[in-house]
Amino acid sequence: MASSDTVHVQPARREAAVAEIREEVCLDQSQALDRFLAGVERRAFRIAEMAVRDRDDALDIVQVAMLRLARNYAARPSEEWKPLFYRILYNGIRDWQRRRTVRSRIFAFLPGSRRDDDDEQDDPLERISDGGPDATRRLMADEAMERLEQALESLPARQREAFTLRCLEGMDVAETATAMGCTAGSVKTHYFRALQTLRAQLGEVW
Amino acid sequence: MNTDERTEVFEQRAREAFDESVAALDAQTRSRLNHARQAALDELRAPQRWSWRGWAPAGAFAVAVLAAVLLWSAPDTAPPAQVAEGAAADVGVVEIVASGEDLELAREDLEFYDWLAVQPEAVRNGNG
Repeated sequence: MASSDTVHVQPARREAAVAEIREEVCLDQSQALDRFLAGVERRAFRIAEMAVRDRDDALDIVQVAMLRLARNYAARPSEEWKPLFYRILYNGIRDWQRRRTVRSRIFAFLPGSRRDDDDEQDDPLERISDGGPDATRRLMADEAMERLEQALESLPARQREAFTLRCLEGMDVAETATAMGCTAGSVKTHYFRALQTLRAQLGEVW
Repeated sequence: MNTDERTEVFEQRAREAFDESVAALDAQTRSRLNHARQAALDELRAPQRWSWRGWAPAGAFAVAVLAAVLLWSAPDTAPPAQVAEGAAADVGVVEIVASGEDLELAREDLEFYDWLAVQPEAVRNGNG
């Protein structure tokens, strides 16, 4: 009798234990992903903003990248998240740039049309420092970043990606290759050329 | 300073400028990023909803396989002429029903029609 009880009770207990473990794993996974996204979201936003030059569009691109990572790749080992996330992010940036190209071609045919960014110029007053001990350093950093962004804009897209991921994000060659969807050799070539061009443009003392 | 050192200095400078720009993000942007992150995590925490779209390709494949099996394995015992005759009879029935004629007469003589159906062709044509 006891043995038959054991036979009937054990699978139920096992299922409950499995469900409990599954919940814990899901919670751990959710917390780990939260930590990961919190660590990269601001940097990802700046990268997107540098590429599309629009704050709202950059936020949209980052949000979509976060959603796609959570939806499709949360179950992957956490070491893979970073290159996957940046791959999704750059896919989003490229999609945005393609849409903008098509839109600008269409609007070029319309009379009286003008560029989207004509009315989105930065307000110079917003850029004036509000003083304080770090004001001068901040101003210099802003200027340095502005010059770097302008120089980055002149690079071909793949070189810009390689430089951003390798240098600014600090990813190694293998991670960068995964994020860019190319070989390690291509990453090295793009990065080397990007460095050469940027140094030529910004000078040694930049 | 050799080339490698100059490159390292350049990279360091670029990294610092980028880090400064990240640290200088305004509160509104940080808040919106936080909301975006929570939305993504909600997606992960929410129980997986059943979606017919996920099963649609499998369903379509199963229907196609079933149709193929039925067509392939259906007994093809009737000769073509008989099949055509059956089809013509079906069309006749449809025409009678669709015409809206009084079917009471037919119901009264069901036995006659049953008998007629089993008679050879010659009897049906009034030549028997």
